[in-house]
Amino acid sequence: MESRILQLIAALRASGVRVSLAESAEAFSAVDLMGIQDREHFRLSLRATLIKDAKDLPTFEKLFPLFFGSGQPPMMGGNPMDDLTPEEIQMLAEALKQFAGQLRQRMERLMNGEQLSRAELEALGQLVGLNQADNLNYQNWMTQRMMRAMAFPEVQKAMKELMEQLAQMGMSRERIQQIREMIRQNMQGMQEQMGQFAGERIAENLSEKPRGENIDNLMNRPFEALSDADKQLLQHEVKKLAAVLRTRIALRQKRAKNGQMDAKATIRANLKYHGMPMEIKHRNRIHKPKIVVICDVSTSMRFCSELMLSFLFALQGQVRKTHAFAFIDHLESISEDFSGSNADEAIQSVLWRMPSGHYNTDLGYALNNFNDDYMDTLNSGTTLIIVGDGRNNYNDPRLDIFSHMSRRATRTIWLNPEPPLMWNGDSDMPKYAPLCSNVLKVSNLRELADAVDDLMTG
Amino acid sequence: MTNMFNSTDSVKTSLGSQKYIASDEISTIVYLCQKLGKPLLAEGPAGVGKTELAKAIASATGRELIRLQCYEGLDESKALYEWEYSKQLLYTQLLRDKLNDTLGKAESLAEAADKLAKEEDVFFSNRFLLQRPLLKAILSDKPTVLLIDEIDRADAEFEAFLLEILSDFQVSVPELGTLTAIHKPFVVLTSNNTRELSEALKRRCLYLFIDYPNLQEELAVVRLKVPDLNPKLAQQAVEFVQKLRKADMRKSPSISETLDWANALVALNASNLDKNVLEDTLSVLLKHEADLQKAKRQLNAPPPQQPKPRNNDEFGRFSGN
Repeated sequence: MESRILQLIAALRASGVRVSLAESAEAFSAVDLMGIQDREHFRLSLRATLIKDAKDLPTFEKLFPLFFGSGQPPMMGGNPMDDLTPEEIQMLAEALKQFAGQLRQRMERLMNGEQLSRAELEALGQLVGLNQADNLNYQNWMTQRMMRAMAFPEVQKAMKELMEQLAQMGMSRERIQQIREMIRQNMQGMQEQMGQFAGERIAENLSEKPRGENIDNLMNRPFEALSDADKQLLQHEVKKLAAVLRTRIALRQKRAKNGQMDAKATIRANLKYHGMPMEIKHRNRIHKPKIVVICDVSTSMRFCSELMLSFLFALQGQVRKTHAFAFIDHLESISEDFSGSNADEAIQSVLWRMPSGHYNTDLGYALNNFNDDYMDTLNSGTTLIIVGDGRNNYNDPRLDIFSHMSRRATRTIWLNPEPPLMWNGDSDMPKYAPLCSNVLKVSNLRELADAVDDLMTG
Repeated sequence: MTNMFNSTDSVKTSLGSQKYIASDEISTIVYLCQKLGKPLLAEGPAGVGKTELAKAIASATGRELIRLQCYEGLDESKALYEWEYSKQLLYTQLLRDKLNDTLGKAESLAEAADKLAKEEDVFFSNRFLLQRPLLKAILSDKPTVLLIDEIDRADAEFEAFLLEILSDFQVSVPELGTLTAIHKPFVVLTSNNTRELSEALKRRCLYLFIDYPNLQEELAVVRLKVPDLNPKLAQQAVEFVQKLRKADMRKSPSISETLDWANALVALNASNLDKNVLEDTLSVLLKHEADLQKAKRQLNAPPPQQPKPRNNDEFGRFSGN
């Protein structure tokens, strides 16, 4: 039992749930306390101790039955032969004869209502490459492949023919219906059995999966050289990084005390000196920046923008107000999407809404949109951030609007994955750059984190 | 009353006697928290009865409920303790004569200082310590239930400050030393999930996610809390609320809003959920103009046609999806 719980914890970790050592220890003491007789209590004690985030609940609910299955194999319909009269059995055998050897065996197998043995399941799994699968999303697919390996579709068709044959041979309608129903149940039972097996095997693979590769490496790797799996890993890393940044930034922001005198606090603090104002208290004015961020979400810039938005989202508390915009060929306000608490979902919904096309990036037009609708978001105390490569497909860069914007904002920071050497061709970067207060090169996560740190406290 | 509940069933029945319907999940986790001595972190949408749970636990166990409402800018002096300087000063004024008596007999300045030092404890004692909720929960001589409400509204620094209290149930006051709880309070934290809580805090708690209830559960709550509403109407009302929750609303109606609505229906003496009643009372349920409009439009629209069940082929579907 213990090793099974440990396996579950390992599988949870492999699926991206953070489970600390203290939490797993606590899971054991909770299980000790509640016992394992009542499956529901057992499930809840594990869940309350291991899962601390609502978004991880579905992962747990999916994995738990795979490790602690209901213990009962799926229901089989039974053997239809059991209550057939001898001549009906004769009829069935006759009808079966028309099918070729292997197919017939399979059909007989189904009609027996006998479950697949462990060895058979193992062999099937081997056949479809189940041992390499380590993602629960593959469970259905694997089950289907196993069914195909069992030639289910063919068997199904053959069964239909068999029924017709039986009807022709004069078996009663109810009897055929009865056989049909039993076979259907048997098939379903087998399907469930295979599904369960696939799930269990995948979950076990998950729990044995080695920890991912060195994060440091990934952080220094340029965005364009990242695989999808790497990107997922990095998304995780961003959250951790943001937490570190958050505390650092909060501390530094706190230190900048230069507010007005706080009369109330001063009187209160000086009560101990007989009301003599020995200690003057100041209002703790924290310089929280206001941020307007405009992100290029075209194919080339997508991931960089995604990470940037994750950062900004995680740092909401350290910012007075964030207005976020995304553009490809036109500008859209995406601040609304970020009002919930789940950054990943918000980003996904934005990216889904703005599918990327081919070579249609038009910053000039996006700036024009901004000028029309959102110029009032820029005022003193605002930091304007542009995330983009400045490649405009030879459209009008609208420098007039951009210079107006950078004059309105206190600071204008451009985050560009390309170094100045590569600002050629359709890049309008050389024109935009002089209008910015700062152009930072962010080609990997490390540089992006540094840039964020810089702009929050600079 | 050190051991409050003996089993998960006793949690359920005693919460039930406080008019709180606890699901298996809630009662099991509450029982676990109590047994393991861990704080309970209840998360979920607004108005599903997270705060109510703490109140029910308190009254079910006969403990005092001490509540700390969190907000941005909450700090130690408002959450933990503060020295009552004005009282200290008043005492020194009033006790001046007494002090003169004590110190007057001293031969030298050093002796007077020594004498004063002996009495110094008087001025930094519990007498002048203004107890805020957290300290009150720790120093209380009877076991209490401590409710830290909407922890997600407090700053991240305050969360860090809570860690000592939540894991060891003790606080350090520089002048007095470390104060340890006489009775461990039963701690309930609630969060509306407006921001992510720190890992360290989550690690110390047991997690309970309370979601909107299903039809039966909600109906049971309405029947319990608004017994005057006629059963048929209650059924209709709850069904309607459940339907609203499935629609994409800016703010879905919570249980507390359902109850308000049920009360409104009773007050209006409504006998049926017809269009007029709905139009009049819908604003109790929905708090956004856009949502109201949307719900009204849905009301007027004809009911959607039920799709015909598709005929399964003979051996069912094998798609596995």
